[in-house]
Amino acid sequence: MSSGQHLRVSDAEREAAADQLAEHFAAGLLGQAEFDDRVGRAMSARTRADLSGLFAGLPGTGAPAVPELPRGGGSTPGGGPGSPIEFRLDAASGVPTYLQLVHQVEHALRLGYLKPGDQLPKVRDVVASLAINPNTVLKAYKELEVKGLAAGRPGQGTFIQATLSQVTLPELAGLHKSLLGWLTTADAAGLDEDGMVALFTSALRDFYKRRGDTGDRRGGASGETEGVA
Amino acid sequence: MSTNVIEASGLSKRYGSTWALRECTLAIAAGHVAALVGPNGAGKTTLLNLAVGMLAPTAGTIEVLGGRPAGSPAALDGIAFVAQDTPLYKNLPAADMLHLTRNLNRRFDQDYAEARLGELGIPLNRKTGRLSGGQQAQFALTLALARRPRLLVLDEPVAMLDPVARHDFMALVMTAMAADGVSVVLSSHVLAELERVADYLILLSRGRVQVAGEVEDLLASHRVLTGPAAEADRYAERLRVVHARRGEAQAHLLVRACAGDPVPPGWEAHPVGLEELALAYLRESGAAALPGPARSRNAEPSEVTR
Amino acid sequence: MTALRVPARPEQDASLRPVPWRRMAWVTWRQHRFALAGVAALLGALAVYLWLAGLRVHHAWTAAAACRPASSDACGNLIGGFLATYWPTAQLIAALLLTAPALIGAFVGAPVLARELETGTFRFAWTQGFGRWRWTLAKLVPLAITVAAAAGVFSVLFSWYFQPFFAAGQQIPLAPAVFGLRGVAFAAWTLAAFAIGGLAGLLIRRVVPAIAATLAAYTGLALAAGLYLRQHYLTPLLTSNPNPPGSPWMIGQSAWIVSQWWTKGGKPISQSVLSQVLQGAPQLAGKGGVPQSPNVTQYLNQHGYTLWTSYQPGSRFWPFQWIEGGWLLALSVLLIAATVWLVRRRAA
Repeated sequence: MSSGQHLRVSDAEREAAADQLAEHFAAGLLGQAEFDDRVGRAMSARTRADLSGLFAGLPGTGAPAVPELPRGGGSTPGGGPGSPIEFRLDAASGVPTYLQLVHQVEHALRLGYLKPGDQLPKVRDVVASLAINPNTVLKAYKELEVKGLAAGRPGQGTFIQATLSQVTLPELAGLHKSLLGWLTTADAAGLDEDGMVALFTSALRDFYKRRGDTGDRRGGASGETEGVA
Repeated sequence: MSTNVIEASGLSKRYGSTWALRECTLAIAAGHVAALVGPNGAGKTTLLNLAVGMLAPTAGTIEVLGGRPAGSPAALDGIAFVAQDTPLYKNLPAADMLHLTRNLNRRFDQDYAEARLGELGIPLNRKTGRLSGGQQAQFALTLALARRPRLLVLDEPVAMLDPVARHDFMALVMTAMAADGVSVVLSSHVLAELERVADYLILLSRGRVQVAGEVEDLLASHRVLTGPAAEADRYAERLRVVHARRGEAQAHLLVRACAGDPVPPGWEAHPVGLEELALAYLRESGAAALPGPARSRNAEPSEVTR
Repeated sequence: MTALRVPARPEQDASLRPVPWRRMAWVTWRQHRFALAGVAALLGALAVYLWLAGLRVHHAWTAAAACRPASSDACGNLIGGFLATYWPTAQLIAALLLTAPALIGAFVGAPVLARELETGTFRFAWTQGFGRWRWTLAKLVPLAITVAAAAGVFSVLFSWYFQPFFAAGQQIPLAPAVFGLRGVAFAAWTLAAFAIGGLAGLLIRRVVPAIAATLAAYTGLALAAGLYLRQHYLTPLLTSNPNPPGSPWMIGQSAWIVSQWWTKGGKPISQSVLSQVLQGAPQLAGKGGVPQSPNVTQYLNQHGYTLWTSYQPGSRFWPFQWIEGGWLLALSVLLIAATVWLVRRRAA
C-alpha cells in the first residue's frame, strides 16, 4: 500500500486511521499520551504518507481502508474463521452477565469445545447476537486473561491460552464415589435435595473464602442459603 | 481520553411555574451506556432535550462531548438524537430521507445506511409513513448511526417495539458502540432489560437526580439484608437503609454497604439486581446515591418504612 | 492485555467547518416542491389566461382607439362597447388577483415551520448537524425570493394585459384596486405575505390556524395600506380648481383624488348647506346631495364657494411603488429575521 503516498487523504481515511489507532490502544500497544498524540496527528494529516507514519512500530498496514460499520445483528459468529463456541445469556439467573460468559468459556474448556489456540467470539459478534454492553464482554475476556485462560492478540481477537487443570479419569471416579458417600450420609441425616445443595454451596463458599481465591465471588455471595436453623 | 459526554451542573428547567428539573448535577463519561430511568414526569425527556439543545436551561449549565455547549454546532455535529415517537418525514420515501439526512450533516455513511435498510427489509422507495412502528424506530436509529456520532441519545427508544424488534434495536446500538466507540444515553421505563445493556445508571425522580453512578459500583455498594423483622429497627439506625420491606417475622433491608462490611449475626446478605435497586430508590424519594465526595448527598438513610 | 472498556471515539477537531449552505437547496426543494408547484400552477394557469385574453383585449382596443374623429359619438360608442365587453372581466380578474399574494404567502409560508412543529419533525430537523437557525434561514430566504420573483414576473404580464383600460381612462394606476397588482408592489406584497406566514407558522405551531392567521394579518395590513397609508406616502397636492371651465381636468385624468371639500370664505361648508344652495338650480341638484360635475362646480363657484381637492398626481405612480415596495421589503426582512432569531433563541 505504498503507492500514492503523496495523495491527499479524506476525512473518512483520517477517521479510519484514528479508529485503527484506538484498536491498538485498546490492545495495549500504545500508552495514553502516545495515543492522544498520534490521534491528534491523524486528524491533521494531509497525505497518505502522514497517515502511514503514525503506525510506526505497530503491526498491520498503514492508511487502513475505511472501516465498515457492522452489517446488523445475527451475523455469523466470527465471520471468517469463526469461534467454536457461541454464548448464551440466562437473564433470569441472577448471575452477572460477565460472569456467565466467563463460566461458559470455562465450561466449554472443560467439556472440550475449546482448546488452546481457539479464538473466542469477537466482541462485535457477541454484542450483535446477545444485545449486551460490549464493555461486559471485554470485562469477561479480561477476567479470563487474569485467570490465565485467554490472551488478547492485538488486532486479531482473544484466544484461549491454557486449559483448566484436567483431572484424570481415575481421580474423577474416586471423587464421584466419595461424593456419593457424603450424599448417603446427608440423606440419612434428613436433608432433602435443596438442603444438600444449600449445604454444599455454603461449604464451597467457605472453602474458597479460606483459600483467598477471588475468582468466583462478588461482595455478598449469592443467596442460595436458607436460614440455618 | 475520558471526556465527559454529558456534564450538567445545577441544571434546572422550569415550565411556567412547574420545575421539570431541579439542580441536576451529572457527569457521564464517554464509552458508557447510560440509562436514564424514572417515573413519568420525572424529567427524563426534559434532560435529554436539554442535552441535545432542543431546550435552553432556566438555570445551571449543560455541556456535552467534552465541554461543548449543548446545542452548539460542534455539539450537534457529534450527537445523534432519536426523539420519542421517532419523528420522520412521513411523506418522504426512504431514499429521500437518507438524502436529506446526508445533506444536513457533515458525515454520513450512505453504504452503511443502505445495507442496514436492506437487512431490515425496507425498500428504498417506500414512504417512511407506511413502515411499521418497529421499522420506523429502526430506520430512525439507522439514520442516527449513519451520521457516525460520538454520542447517541435515545428517548424511550423501545417503548413501541415488540420483543424481537427490541432485541434487534438494542443489538444494533450495542454493535455500533463496539465497532465505532459511540457512547449511548438512553431513557427507559423497562428496567428489566437495562441490566444487560447499561453500565451507568441515572435515576430521576421528580426532577432531581436521585442516583447516578456506574452500575457495577452501585451493585457492589448495595446489598439486601434479610433477617428477623423484630431486629430490623435496631439495625436501621446503624446501617444506611435505603428501603425496607417487612413481613410479620421477616424483613428485607436494602442497604448501602461495602463488600467487606460484616453481616449482622443471624442475618443473610444477598446481592442486589439493578431492577431491585432502582425500584427501591424510586420508592424512597428521600434517598440518594450520588458519586463524588464534593457533591456528596450520599444515601440519606430513610426511615424504615412499613 | 484487553482493555477494560471499548475505547470511545477520539476527540475530533472542535473548530468545524459548518455544513455548506448549498446543501439545504435540495432539502428545501424536496420538502416544499408541492407548494411551489401549486404556486407555479396557479400563476401559470392565470398567466396563460391573461396572455390569451390580453391579446384579444389589445386587439379590440387598438381597433376602438383607431377610430377617427376621436371625439365623435360613433367613436365614443366604439370605446363604450369595448369597455362593456372587456371591462367587467378585467375588474373581476383584478379583484381576484388582489387575493393572490395572501394565498401564496399563507400556503407557502405558513407550513414551513408550522408543519415541522405540528408533526414533531422539528425534533429531527433541528438536531441535525446543520443547525436550526441556519436551517430556518436556508428555507425561508430561497422560498421568499422564489415566490416574490414569480409574482414579479406575473405582474408584468398583468400590467400588459391591463394597459388598454388605463388608456381608455376607465381606471387609474394609483387606484387601490390595481395599484398593488403592478410595478414592484405585487412582488413586494407576496414577499410580505410569505414573511408573515413564516412567523405565524412559528408562533402558532399548527398549519391550518397559521394559514388562517396569515390571511387575516395580511388582509388587515393590505386594507390599512390601501385605505390609509398609501395616501400619505408623499404629501398630497392641493388645488382649488380641479376642473376650470373649458379646459381639460387640471389635475390630470390619472390623478388620484384623496379628498375634496367645499369652503366659502375660508370656512368649510357642509353638504347640507350646499344642497340647499343647489335648490336654486333644480336641474343641477338631482336627487339630493351634491353631484360631481363641472356644471355644478361652476354654479357653486359663481355663488362664492370654492372646491378644494387634495390629490396625488398620476406621475407619482412609480415613486409610490418604490416607497411601498421599500417598506414591504423592510417589513419582510424584519419578519424573517425575527423568525430566525426566535428559532435560535431556544438553543442554549
